[in-house]
Amino acid sequence: MIETPSGRLLRGLLPPVLVMLGVAILTVIAVQLGGDDLSLTITETLIRLTVVVGLSIFVGNSGIVSFGHIGFMCIGAYVAAWATCNPMWKQLMLTGLPTMLQENQYPFLVAVAGGGILAAFVGLILGAAILRLSGIAASIATFAFLAIVNNVYSNWDTVTAATSSIIGIPVEVDPYMALAFALCAIAIAFWFKDTRMGLMLRASRDDGVAARASGVSILKVRLVAFVLSAFVVGVGGTLWAQFLGVLTVDMFYLPMTFMTLAMLIVGGMGSVTGAVVGTIAVTVFVQLFRAMEGGVTVGATTFALPQGTQEIALGIAMALILIFLPAGLTRSRELRLRRQRAATGDTGLGAPASLGS
Amino acid sequence: MITAYAGGVEMITRPSRTAPGVDQPLAASLRAENISVRFGGLAAISEVTLALERGHILGLIGPNGAGKTTLVNCLTGFQAPTHGRVLLADAPTLGWTAEHFRRAGVARTFQAGRLFKALSVVENIEVTGAGLGLSRRRARSLALELLAWLKLDDKAETLAGALAYTDERRVGIARALLLGPAFLLLDEPAAGMSDAESDELSSLVKAIPKTFECGVLLIEHNMRMVMDTCEMIHVLDSGRTIAEGTPAQIQKNKAVIASYLGGEGEKQLEIMEEGH
Ligand SMILES: Nc1ncnc2c1ncn2[C@@H]1O[C@H](COP(=O)(O)OP(=O)(O)O)[C@@H](O)[C@H]1O
Ligand SMILES: [Mg+2]
Repeated sequence: MIETPSGRLLRGLLPPVLVMLGVAILTVIAVQLGGDDLSLTITETLIRLTVVVGLSIFVGNSGIVSFGHIGFMCIGAYVAAWATCNPMWKQLMLTGLPTMLQENQYPFLVAVAGGGILAAFVGLILGAAILRLSGIAASIATFAFLAIVNNVYSNWDTVTAATSSIIGIPVEVDPYMALAFALCAIAIAFWFKDTRMGLMLRASRDDGVAARASGVSILKVRLVAFVLSAFVVGVGGTLWAQFLGVLTVDMFYLPMTFMTLAMLIVGGMGSVTGAVVGTIAVTVFVQLFRAMEGGVTVGATTFALPQGTQEIALGIAMALILIFLPAGLTRSRELRLRRQRAATGDTGLGAPASLGS
Repeated sequence: MITAYAGGVEMITRPSRTAPGVDQPLAASLRAENISVRFGGLAAISEVTLALERGHILGLIGPNGAGKTTLVNCLTGFQAPTHGRVLLADAPTLGWTAEHFRRAGVARTFQAGRLFKALSVVENIEVTGAGLGLSRRRARSLALELLAWLKLDDKAETLAGALAYTDERRVGIARALLLGPAFLLLDEPAAGMSDAESDELSSLVKAIPKTFECGVLLIEHNMRMVMDTCEMIHVLDSGRTIAEGTPAQIQKNKAVIASYLGGEGEKQLEIMEEGH
């Protein structure tokens, strides 16, 4: 099995390129075919995709479930609001903001970068404190972090407007803008997985004791992934703010946390492809059930599922996936082209693209 | 890498032990000095003194529960001794983590294998290179060299979780051997192997001190293999040293025969050998 270096490089680049192409093509088709409503759903889904892929950078490689990442999304979103809202409104409502933020209005990309950086910084401090804990204890600590962020942002009147909404954030994010960020997130996630840090982190996920015996500092590799992951999710938050134009703290709490985790688990926690497939699958599923809750007309009669069916159905679907496909729809593998493998009798004539390791 | 040509076939006789930016471990000895480990009321090891030297193979034997793994844990930073000290190159190692020991050249394998199951074979070995500060590219090329030396190069891309038992052990050893450690501690590497397989493993273990200028500690229940492989043998029973000497001396030692090789001990030995 001799492989040239360029062949290896090509094989390494194929999965990210295929996944990114897939997402881009789906987006373009959906935008071209659908109306304004669909275009909003697509933008929302692509921002979620950015968040879920960002989440997978930590969860997928470390094997530690984080309930706290939506806290980073919240932090990013509020930075975007602070940076881009009308200065007159800020001086009236957000009197606790530093003057620099109160008196100026910053461009879109500055808001995006600022949100990512603040989230990463908070991630660094939080991670240094909790990532030496064992997996379960660390997960519980991330949950506590989510609750703390929610609490602080719901009560900090002069900076976050507490529980009232922040309004008038300039709306900048359309489907193609969201697509660009989602593709960047996917590229970063694929890249990180194959760096030496990513490799060490995946080793520690499989066996922490053996990883230490190989010279791996588990805290350090976890922390690197946690900060990068917080950055990407924070950026997702800034996009969310600049897509909706309105923010409330409660957007970033339990429903969003469970929805993003469900996407990751359904697709397969251990692969970037899984994060992408899970986001798309869950979104389609939820949209279908929402439509049915709204009522489907067949002939003269309209059938409607009772409100709340969607949540229950999603719960049941997740349970089924956990039972029958514990590693998710993709079995946590990356997308690849089926390779010519004479030795194993694999002719490569099957489906043009398949999921395999 | 040093290569030799034998009958037109290129053979790797010695994998690289150095890489730019990584210090070659220089320690000449690894010693446990009068160490004891207590787990609550249980004394897992009591006042054990043992020394490993580079270029030599020391055997460590004793019935199950004698404290062999606990001793290896102490020598590799996975367990802090309750009393006594571990000295590397005559310097104390108080407070060192397991990663610290590995970077200083003390490598080990595990009784349970403990491969990174979702990673490929070559990636399993690359992890050590990454842990010691190498780039992925360099770690990979060293890992492939080592796999070629172990004649496992055809398995480089196989998932570690899909390996046969004997290959699993060899990959565990390869992972520990990357970048030539000063000391290698093998915890029951031949458990469950047939006689032919343990013979093969035995010749591999015997080649390690010469090839890597490395000291080896071998824990093993297969007496034939231990006697054949080791220059010196250390015997533990219930956490205490009951004998140390050459294979010939150990086979004649009354305390060893009484507690381990004869009577109740003999039965236990048989059970252990059948158990796998
Ligand atoms: N982490 C631990 N906590 C409590 N007891 C332990 C622990 N590790 C080992 N022991 C006990 O210490 C003794 C020695 O175990 P071990 O070193 O694994 O023996 P061996 O490797 O010779 O079979 C055993 O009685 C075992 O039950
Ligand atoms: Mg043991």
